Amino acid sequence: MPMHSFGKEHAMNAAIEHKSAGSALEGLRSLAGARDRFDLSAADLLPRQIEAANELLQDRVGRIRLLRNRAEASGITSIREPEDIVPLLFAHTAYKSYPEAWLTERKWDRLGKWLETVSSHPITGVDVGDVRDIDDWIDRLQAAGHFVSCSSGTTGKSAMMNGSAADMEWSRGDSVGSFSWGSGVNPAQDRKIFGLAPVASVPRNLVIRDALVKAYGLPGLTPFIYPVPPITIGQITGMVALRKSMADGTAKPADIAAYEANSARRQQALDDAVGVCAEALVQARSDKLFLSGMWASLYKVAEAVRARGFGGKDFHEDNSIYIGGGLKGAVLPPNYRQFVFETFNLSPSRVFQMYGMQEINTGMPRCAAGRYHVAPWLMCLMLDQSGEKLIPAVGEVEGRAAFFDLSLEGRWGGVISGDKITVNYGKCECGNRSPSIRDDITRYADLAGGDKITCAGTIDAYVRGVT
Amino acid sequence: MNSVARVDTVTVDAGDTAIRVNHFVRGKLVSGASVRHRSRDLGADFTTPAIDLDALVTPRSEVPPLLDVKLTEIVDFLVETGQRLTLERNPYLQESLERVAATNPLPRRVVENLYSGARHYLTREVLMSSIESNFSNPACLDGWVSRTDMFGLHGAIRAFPPRMIHMLAGNSPAGCMSSIAQGALVKAINLFKMPSSDPFTCVAVLRTMADIDPDHPVVRSMSAVYWRGGDESIERTLYRPQYFDRIVAWGGGDAIKNVIRYLGPGLQLISFDPKTSISMIGPEAFGSDATIAEVAECAAADVAVFNQEACLASRFIFVEGERGAIEKFCAQLQSRLGVDRETASAKAPGLPQETRDEIDVLKMMDDEYRVWGKFDGAGMVILSEQPVEFHPTGKTVNVVRVVSLDDAIRYVNVATQTIGIYPPERKALLRDRIASAGGQRVVRLGSAARHVMGSPHDAMYPLQRFIHWMADEDA
Repeated sequence: MPMHSFGKEHAMNAAIEHKSAGSALEGLRSLAGARDRFDLSAADLLPRQIEAANELLQDRVGRIRLLRNRAEASGITSIREPEDIVPLLFAHTAYKSYPEAWLTERKWDRLGKWLETVSSHPITGVDVGDVRDIDDWIDRLQAAGHFVSCSSGTTGKSAMMNGSAADMEWSRGDSVGSFSWGSGVNPAQDRKIFGLAPVASVPRNLVIRDALVKAYGLPGLTPFIYPVPPITIGQITGMVALRKSMADGTAKPADIAAYEANSARRQQALDDAVGVCAEALVQARSDKLFLSGMWASLYKVAEAVRARGFGGKDFHEDNSIYIGGGLKGAVLPPNYRQFVFETFNLSPSRVFQMYGMQEINTGMPRCAAGRYHVAPWLMCLMLDQSGEKLIPAVGEVEGRAAFFDLSLEGRWGGVISGDKITVNYGKCECGNRSPSIRDDITRYADLAGGDKITCAGTIDAYVRGVT
Repeated sequence: MNSVARVDTVTVDAGDTAIRVNHFVRGKLVSGASVRHRSRDLGADFTTPAIDLDALVTPRSEVPPLLDVKLTEIVDFLVETGQRLTLERNPYLQESLERVAATNPLPRRVVENLYSGARHYLTREVLMSSIESNFSNPACLDGWVSRTDMFGLHGAIRAFPPRMIHMLAGNSPAGCMSSIAQGALVKAINLFKMPSSDPFTCVAVLRTMADIDPDHPVVRSMSAVYWRGGDESIERTLYRPQYFDRIVAWGGGDAIKNVIRYLGPGLQLISFDPKTSISMIGPEAFGSDATIAEVAECAAADVAVFNQEACLASRFIFVEGERGAIEKFCAQLQSRLGVDRETASAKAPGLPQETRDEIDVLKMMDDEYRVWGKFDGAGMVILSEQPVEFHPTGKTVNVVRVVSLDDAIRYVNVATQTIGIYPPERKALLRDRIASAGGQRVVRLGSAARHVMGSPHDAMYPLQRFIHWMADEDA
């Protein structure tokens, strides 16, 4: 992606020019290359965003059945103000609304039909006659231009979200652009790349990894990839299927024992990987590195590096790091951040963190003031806890996060998340005027509390293990 | 030991609009607004007195107050209590009803009906049938009963009163009345942990008892308080075998997970586990339009009970028959779900968004699924060939077509409580296999909420499990 240095006026003018030349949507998308794209205020952008949202509605309403259903139910035929978007937002659960039995019983034609109800493009030309398993089905969809990403949640159902080739291309540009903006590191193909966490092997993740490797990695050098077998959708859904058969009472003790043995092997591989990573990092300590990982695994690797007698000044002073996700339930000592940064000689300005979710295709990079910024083609709509009412976009607002990613092509970009966030629609301490999200994101599901007791319930309460 | 109160006690403004919750501790009303809470279901604010933990525990050096009180006297007292639990004449219940409306999702009128229905549990016939079905010799509740074994050795047994914590369920405000009766019948020392969706009714009933005789041993055996479920400062301290023998819990969820941590030698859980109920309908139901209408009404009554908040409310109906006739039945069923009933309102609370999404999608897959009704609370019916995966609530029912009712048995599991069957003659053919699959109760379709007195609950006779069975042996 070209990284032109536009002034703010340039960026706004560019958006307006594109509008007169083409659509509001194209105008907003063209801001992706503007260096100061995060300095545009929500209020200034709103008229164009609303226009772009309406363009998308008109284009998609006849193509995405769930959207048509929502539009009919709410009587909304065009988007004129933010309130009009709310009834058209999909709950994050819409992408897991398929019956799980279709997965476990391998009913690929029905799953395809379901996927079509939440996709922009018809799913045609996919021969499902001899599909072996879910991974195979997803590969065939990809060959037909449908890039299905699944949430890698380890419990319950996987969400399945369709993306187009254009979305994958957008993801490439957005991930490099976000990283550059958030870490201040220009893509100069001058680093050794280290992936230090297991990654779910879904198209979007692979595309992002590839884009970062090409932009930042030394040409011709194979990146270091966390040495465990990748987590596939098949493995995730296999667990879901076992859970279901346990609930049905059809799982045999041997099935459960086999699963547990497999989990133990995987845990062993994860544990062994830590030492392998540490060795490789020690070897490469004088090179300029691009690290990526999640806190839990980064911390373990850092410990192993320290145990080998290395850390701090042994590593290159210009190292950078991409940290994905939060703690994900890991329990680490209070100084874990400092410990990781010091081990690899990372200065805070070279650390990249972002807020994002599989449901949208645009990341929100963290600024110097520690807040996550919203790009011009991404609308951050704040709702009340129930997700029904829009909260006015003025000042600092707390509530349920909803987003409309205007860049999404292969599906509808409007989603209600399960996240509770605080967003500031005013100017951020870092100097940028785009909406910024405070670093205290929690999930509403985690807040529900432990007070519930009722005699009505399901067999799920009787299934132990398999998480 | 000092008297320990909650550490997070807050000052509450005089002009506070939060609802006042009273406690009842070993026969005495405790008032005060020291701790502020928010109810789980409706988010209503309420305040409670600080909890004096010492007062909630009767030292083991004291024998239970009811030990030497005859069962007949206890029954007399409960019956008199029952007679006073009429809403029109009982100011405590009236006040409780007003407050429950702010914390409980059930409609006020349904709560009224539940109150008046539960009163009928407190009659001599019902109480005695409960005793007689739980104990082969009820005399062991009143004293030491001698017996001689096959070798001629003598001994005596006594159904000794336990020390119990009752974790009351939030979804049935009248449930506390039977818990109070059960606790009294086994002469237990009782601590009722009230739910946030109804921290009122239990105290209202106990105050009614105290008005009859404030020093009655039944009254002195009862405490009812609220704390937030999972509050470690209370549960870690109280849930110990030195203080209590049994924890009785109605339901599941996080509240049970919290309790399980504290179980161990000497402290047992008696759990009425979370349950789902279903119906099974044979082809006989579809013989004529009149029969279809009649069976649809029976099915609707079992689905709608307590607006489907209760464990005995049916959520899946397995049917054997022609698709056309079944569709007619579904349409009838949907219209009967919207009826205003004694224990169900015409409109139930709405469905969670997640469930709406799934139903929307099923509607789009129209060759396989058919949906009757809208998201308006008046009831929805989803016809399918396989059960849906979500938990139907808010008067939503999934009608699943099966080749024969024998095939429906595979959908019965250890979480299946009540199975309503039509025609009733089929019960005898199905009940053994249903029991083997884990089911607990077969009934005639339409009578899920009616009970034959003295029947087991959730596959057990709970009262005998409450007891501390004490032996005196001359071997």
